Amino acid sequence: MHAGTTTTHDAHDVHDHIHPAPEGFIRKYVFSLDHKVIGFQYFFTGLFLLLIAGSFAELVRLQLTKPEGAIMSHNAYNEMFTMHGTAMVWMVLIPLVTGAIGNFVMPLQIGARDVAFPWLNMASFWIFPIAALILFSSMLFGGPHAGWTEYPPISLADGTAGALWCMAIFVIGISSTMTGLNFMVTIIKMRAPGMTWTRMPLFVWATFATALMNMFATVALSAATGALFIEHVFNVPFFDASRGGSPVLFEHMFWFYSHPAVYIFIIPAFGVVSEVLPVFARKPIFGYKMIAFSSMAISILAFTVWAHHMFPSGLAPWLQLPFMILTYAIGIPTGIKVFSWMATLWGGRIHYTTAMLYAMGFLITFTFGGITGVFLASVPVDLHMHGTYFVVGHFHYVVAGGAVMGFLAAIPYWYPKATGRMMSERIGQLSFWLFFIGLNGTFLPMHWLGLEGMPRRYASYIDFAKSNPDAQFWNTFETAMSFLMVASVGLLVFNVLWSIKHGKVAGINPWGARTLEWTISSPPPYYNFKKLPEVYGRPYDYDRPLPYKNTDNELDEYPEYGRVLMPIPTPAAVGA
Amino acid sequence: MRRHTGEASLAQRYSPHPKQVRVQGLGRGFWLVTALLTLLSLGTTYYYLFGSIDWIMPGASHPVADRASDVDGLFKFMAVFGTAILIYVSGYVIYFGIEFRARPTDPPDLVGVPVHDAPKLELWWTVLPTILLAVLTALSINVWYKIQFGTGAPALTMEVVGHQFYFEYRYPGLKTSVFSKTEPMHLPLGVPVRILITSADVIHQFWVPEIRLKQAAVPGLVQNLNYTPLRAGTYDIACSEFCGPDHSVMHGQLIIEPVADFNKWLEGQKKAAASAGATVNLANGSADAGKATFAQKCAACHNNPPTPFDQKLVGPGLAKITDDPAHPTLVTGKPPTPANIADILQNGFTGPIGTMPNRQANALSDKDIADLVAYLTSLK
Repeated sequence: MHAGTTTTHDAHDVHDHIHPAPEGFIRKYVFSLDHKVIGFQYFFTGLFLLLIAGSFAELVRLQLTKPEGAIMSHNAYNEMFTMHGTAMVWMVLIPLVTGAIGNFVMPLQIGARDVAFPWLNMASFWIFPIAALILFSSMLFGGPHAGWTEYPPISLADGTAGALWCMAIFVIGISSTMTGLNFMVTIIKMRAPGMTWTRMPLFVWATFATALMNMFATVALSAATGALFIEHVFNVPFFDASRGGSPVLFEHMFWFYSHPAVYIFIIPAFGVVSEVLPVFARKPIFGYKMIAFSSMAISILAFTVWAHHMFPSGLAPWLQLPFMILTYAIGIPTGIKVFSWMATLWGGRIHYTTAMLYAMGFLITFTFGGITGVFLASVPVDLHMHGTYFVVGHFHYVVAGGAVMGFLAAIPYWYPKATGRMMSERIGQLSFWLFFIGLNGTFLPMHWLGLEGMPRRYASYIDFAKSNPDAQFWNTFETAMSFLMVASVGLLVFNVLWSIKHGKVAGINPWGARTLEWTISSPPPYYNFKKLPEVYGRPYDYDRPLPYKNTDNELDEYPEYGRVLMPIPTPAAVGA
Repeated sequence: MRRHTGEASLAQRYSPHPKQVRVQGLGRGFWLVTALLTLLSLGTTYYYLFGSIDWIMPGASHPVADRASDVDGLFKFMAVFGTAILIYVSGYVIYFGIEFRARPTDPPDLVGVPVHDAPKLELWWTVLPTILLAVLTALSINVWYKIQFGTGAPALTMEVVGHQFYFEYRYPGLKTSVFSKTEPMHLPLGVPVRILITSADVIHQFWVPEIRLKQAAVPGLVQNLNYTPLRAGTYDIACSEFCGPDHSVMHGQLIIEPVADFNKWLEGQKKAAASAGATVNLANGSADAGKATFAQKCAACHNNPPTPFDQKLVGPGLAKITDDPAHPTLVTGKPPTPANIADILQNGFTGPIGTMPNRQANALSDKDIADLVAYLTSLK
């Protein structure tokens, strides 16, 4: 049943042959060229580092239960929050959302057998544990202390540890850039026949927008960390004001990358939410074109707003204005997405799976984080809020309540495809509520603590506690609530590992979803699709008949069909 | 909210002609919820505009400076709309989540209303936020302009220099500086002031929460802050840009007082400056007390327990200050006698190796100096 245009190029234009199967343990699981295996490798490495970086965060929180600092010296505390931030940004978030989810899902969703450059993909992965080793080895030399932003001149005091920090970030930047290139080429050139840009799933649009930023922004970080490394090791005073350098220069170079970086975290999460909501509301995504367009708009605007991190820091006054206005502007495409997602819920039939809970919770926590971002975008108000706990609260809402929630939705959603088993729903739902309550409890009070006058990166807050007698209460409250998130992550790890053996066997399409990855077996064979599918329509039309019949019987382990029918709805069909 | 019963039920819920949910436009429930959310938003609006937000914005109801009330006005505008948006978004998500949940009695192939677009709705939800942000832009530029240029010619220009880990205040006509560890910063009430801010070492930030405006103290740059203090009182100054191990204890106090009191204080400072510099009596210095003082006042910049010279923290290690073959003199070039060590503690030192703050900056009393000298000379 197809009522659409036929393809304009035939199946032979795309890479239509199947490579021989990989043989041997090393080729299959260690130095694998298979995007799915590489996705697993990113996933488990990232999850391991999440546990380490998260433990550092708990040490930070424990310290703050007393105004004078409860458990460690100032220096040790400074090292803890620096390593927490650095590891989370570069060794957990980016590898998990782009490397793990992006790698596993995107080629399947476009009907490809792998990414454009599988060898490059493998190299990109192996750079990641090497960079992580370099980063953590810096702790043997005293560790970096100046926060994940490591501004000079203060970061120059970190000596060897500072140089190793620069090296680790530079190295992982290579991985990001190569992955960005790889994904962009894959999406441009390797979509299945008939999958035009407007028939792509929204997660693929999100991956494309992210890959664009990964590829073009990371070079600025390489420049910043490279220059800082040279200053550490060879004493060239790029950033040392006493010898003619400029500290503000580092901030510009650093934030030119680091602002797009935060969109690199969040846009894949947007993509996951756009996938999960239609499936479990049983209706098409609302405003497909506007969501796709706004991902691209955000991706491009992301390059133009970096100096909003530097409003008090020494910008020429007139320069503050365009950054303020552009930062306000970037809220518009984001708002369009949130409203479109809400409209996707309206009139649906909502099934509360774990993935759906995370996606809906995302709508609330991410919106909150986005709104506090608007406060920070305003120059006059930012002059009050910069460098305080308000900022810490804001970015944890958008990162933990946004990017991480999206990632936590992606796991139970695609785990059945990746492993052939379902994750435990009961544990998943408990995980969600622990995470949601813990997140709000930990990061909400930070907003008023910051406004009242508590600066960030404070190992002790004795003076603030003198003028704000409830400071210790709120800090201790936040620490207590953070343990709910610890419990949630613990349950997640347990669920992931336990369900491999004990989860219910998943069929090919346990969710009744309509994107291409749900037409092949769970887990897919190494070549994904035996015959490359031809696509005729959009992926989210739940009112249309499914493109295939009798899932349980028709599809065996190696599907043979060459056409997946996803018709474009005609006016007569809608509302029937 | 009904728990999902298993993936098989989802997978089987489709057929060639799936049934659709029946929704008659925006039902009664939707409008009821909208009314409730609107009431809630009006409530929070009233609170922000007419209630006291002092608990989150210190000094909001009695502005400490003219610019502070400008910033607060902008904050209130954003709080009103930001809270309303959050209320509507959360409220609708929760309402839709309840109203449109799958029921156990649903036919297995029930799908939602297949609506892809609603162009008019999408237009409004693009245009209205754009208008809101345009208004916010205009209001922000207005306050930005006042902050940058609104104070006009200041009647008092003073300087703040950030150091690790204290602030140094310089006043016109005062030859010596005032140091945050020994003396609060003073400002006269009602007098437009320009504060020039820079740093002698790393990036710091000078922030009085009640005054709202903060500026970074950047080495190599001079930034300025302009405002008129409106309310007398004592306020905290906090460093709010990470500057090293003692960043979290880099504090000061700001006293805003009537002009006459300010002038009296400034005169007092001039007199104290004239009589400073007398040599400290080192006779009764106690090495034990000095060890405690060292831990309290020197350990932020010098390793404790003291280390060899080359094991620096911010400043060099002091373990062998009196007897180091590699460094036979002090950084001042003089031999390491008690008197010369006391001289560095008293007057500070600036040179290629860095800056050692003077006694006012470090808040060292005569006894502290004597004890420290006794302690340092006892180290072998």
